[in-house]
Amino acid sequence: MNLLEMQLEVNGRQRSVQVEANRTLLEVLRDDLGLIGAKEGCGSGDCGACTVLVDDEAMCSCMLLAVEAEGRQITTIEGIAPAGELHPVQSAFVECGALQCGFCTPGMVLSTVALLRRSPQPTEDEIRDALAGNLCRCTGYDKIVRAVQVAAEEAVHV
Amino acid sequence: MSRNQEIGVAKPMVDASPKARGEARFAADIQLPNLAVAKLLPSLHAHAEVLSIDTSVAEAMPGVYAVITGSDIPEVEGFDPYDHAHGFLARRFAVHVGQPVAAVAAKDPSTAEEALAAIRVAYRVLAPILNAAAALEPGQPVVSRDATASPSEESPSNNAGDAEMINGDLDAGFASADVVLEETYEIPMIHQGYLEPHAVTAWWKQQGHVDVWECVQSPFGARDHIVQTLGIPAHKIALHTTDIGGAFGGKDQGLFSPIAVLLAKKAERPVRLALTREEELTIANPAPMTKIRLKVGVSSNGAITAVDGEVRVDVGAFRTYWGPASFSVCHMLVDKYRVPAFRLHAQDVFTNRVGFGSYRAPMAVQAAFAIESMLDELGCRLGIDPIEMRKRNLISEGEVGAGGAPMPKHGGTAVLQSLMNHAAWRGTKSGRNEDGMCYGRGFALGLWGSGAFPAAAIARLEKGGYVRFTIGQVDLTGSYTSLAQIAAEELGISADRIVFSRADTSRAPFASVSGGSSTIYSMGGAVQEAARELREKIVERAALELDVDRSELRMNDVAVTVEGKSDKRIELDALYEAETSLFFAKYEPFVARGAKGGRVSRMSAPCFSGTIAEVAVNPETGAVKVLRLVTAQDVGKAINPMLVEGQIQGAAAQSVGAALWEAVEYDDAGRVRNADLLDYRLPTAADLPKIETILIEEEGGDGPFGAKGVGEPPMIAPAAAVANAIRNAIGQRINQLPLNPESIWQAMQ
Repeated sequence: MNLLEMQLEVNGRQRSVQVEANRTLLEVLRDDLGLIGAKEGCGSGDCGACTVLVDDEAMCSCMLLAVEAEGRQITTIEGIAPAGELHPVQSAFVECGALQCGFCTPGMVLSTVALLRRSPQPTEDEIRDALAGNLCRCTGYDKIVRAVQVAAEEAVHV
Repeated sequence: MSRNQEIGVAKPMVDASPKARGEARFAADIQLPNLAVAKLLPSLHAHAEVLSIDTSVAEAMPGVYAVITGSDIPEVEGFDPYDHAHGFLARRFAVHVGQPVAAVAAKDPSTAEEALAAIRVAYRVLAPILNAAAALEPGQPVVSRDATASPSEESPSNNAGDAEMINGDLDAGFASADVVLEETYEIPMIHQGYLEPHAVTAWWKQQGHVDVWECVQSPFGARDHIVQTLGIPAHKIALHTTDIGGAFGGKDQGLFSPIAVLLAKKAERPVRLALTREEELTIANPAPMTKIRLKVGVSSNGAITAVDGEVRVDVGAFRTYWGPASFSVCHMLVDKYRVPAFRLHAQDVFTNRVGFGSYRAPMAVQAAFAIESMLDELGCRLGIDPIEMRKRNLISEGEVGAGGAPMPKHGGTAVLQSLMNHAAWRGTKSGRNEDGMCYGRGFALGLWGSGAFPAAAIARLEKGGYVRFTIGQVDLTGSYTSLAQIAAEELGISADRIVFSRADTSRAPFASVSGGSSTIYSMGGAVQEAARELREKIVERAALELDVDRSELRMNDVAVTVEGKSDKRIELDALYEAETSLFFAKYEPFVARGAKGGRVSRMSAPCFSGTIAEVAVNPETGAVKVLRLVTAQDVGKAINPMLVEGQIQGAAAQSVGAALWEAVEYDDAGRVRNADLLDYRLPTAADLPKIETILIEEEGGDGPFGAKGVGEPPMIAPAAAVANAIRNAIGQRINQLPLNPESIWQAMQ
């Protein structure tokens, strides 16, 4: 298949990549750009482990072709806080015990970031609905919901 | 030494921040030079003879590095065609849909897919055996098997193992009963549903030696899997575990590592095999389909007088090392109650489905759905409160249980008492409400007999005043955090001074599977012992250095001090220098070790866990909303309460999934109908309520600081509790899981 030369804006940086048209954004992020925080759990948009922000919206990067992402701002888990530091949502997840195996966590954190940007003080039902596309098999979601509430609470006091 | 600084402290996992940043390295994240991608060619038939495989076109394709089929598997001593381990690649017979018949290593996924499409397989299709009940009847076809070098003496049959458990006078037991009920319960095949698919990477880095990176719970078991299937000597394999994206029993010793190892050898480069979700749900060792006929007699006061039962498990095409699965069910039908007489028949049956594996508290969810539904129903008939019903039958300390050994001290009564008094039990309404919904609450009790597996740990003082432990155990969602707390408590330093090296099988002392709720019990004991030995040596040397009696010494994060004299001290780092400086070392470098042997008894520290579920059923649609879940569990001692709660909540969610949604469904040809996460429906955040936990700390266990097994017990009761709540809400009992809207709606008509 022919290689297409394209520019991707990932975590605030312009990246030049050569990709086949059939490759997903997830594959290009992981295999070409070394951003392995996004995970492939199903490859069909059902689990949310590959969630990234595309222009502030949480999307499954396994369901998006890389070529479709050209010209859009992509944020991965590696880009939401300076290296070695934690975004307030990540801190809340850590402190509340909202992660166990950590496989769903990057996607879960990014879906939370997207939620709090559009709805800074969500109700519990809103939180649960917003995260329903991100499966977690370890936690039963209880501490994840608490972590989102804590993150929302702390954002108010900042 | 100061004490109680670390045990019982809720704190984040040691690797929580890196995981939150996406820095965890799972098996599919391992990067190696010239890494090739492996793909599997699945059998399209549930039962077929493989007549020929033509791989010539695929092998000639550019970018294809290796193709293997069953003929590439070396002959090994002890080949057993009934053993799941040997079923990684079909030989003469394919025995379930999806069983790999060939595998390809190529430069990228699409090249590998094209190569698979170019492989031609000629099959002689055989009638699939999919009905476990019929499969045992005389004259029925038998799942085909490859011949062994020394033909097995057993005549071909679909009997995968059977056993009987008998105790007491059954006839007298039923004769003395006031009420006798007989029911048949069915539990479908369910999948562990971890989010990280199985992945394994193999590399023959050094002539004759292979390095393997795999997400497994049992590093040595995974190594031995390769030894057993390919005949490679253990000392020529280094099995490196990775971070694990959930396992729940399903990643015990891996499934397809032999394929990656064979491909890597042929391709002369590292090869990674990562399963797709479709493969996960089709060929990755789910929990098996189970049918339980149960007849129970009780006297008018609710006391069980007799239990008669028949358990049949459709194990699929293979046996697994801990089977027969049906025997585990039989045991768990009667292990937590006083049962004066029982007769239970266990039967595992081979069919043309995928072989089964462990799933969190293996077979206990199935057993509990049967016995806890039965006791609930008997309680309804007798007008006895469901929790009271359990209390009257609960086995007491010292009573001889189903396993033939006296029951040790346990927290079962405390669990029942805490839930009986809980607002969720006392205050919940049941029946049809003004809003048109049917409300109900249900209870179920679970028991898991955790025990010890063999485990060893090595500890040494590290430069900079840290203590390093080298272990082979994997860090399964918080194990290292709790192990660090145990070590820190024993050493008298803080947990952040403890570091762990997760070593591969060529470097680590032995570690067992991170499973059976035994990690803290087993490896925790080994770590505790190593920490104790290291502390003694540190204090002994400090006493020499400071010229004081060791009883006067206290240890903190950085130094050993003399009590009451803050200036009289020696830094831990100075002690490290004293054993490592080339020309000035006064002591030999000290390596502490701790080791725990296994224990045969399953009930050395029995863990009781009970759950109350509250539900609302929509009578128009049959849809169920779980409104509340409360689990009380005897954890012995919660080393880290936050992590313990997390285990209980996660298990509750999985168990509710099994109650309401989850089932691997097959069509008449033996193909999985719902091999994706849209149709195999895992619980989402929107499906579940808050999950309340009550930690009961009943002393008496011999685990480190009194800790008992935690991960599996909370899986057992919630499914049955939800089923009992639905019975309470709609007045009808449904004996088949999952309790989907269709079956509930039909039961209400």
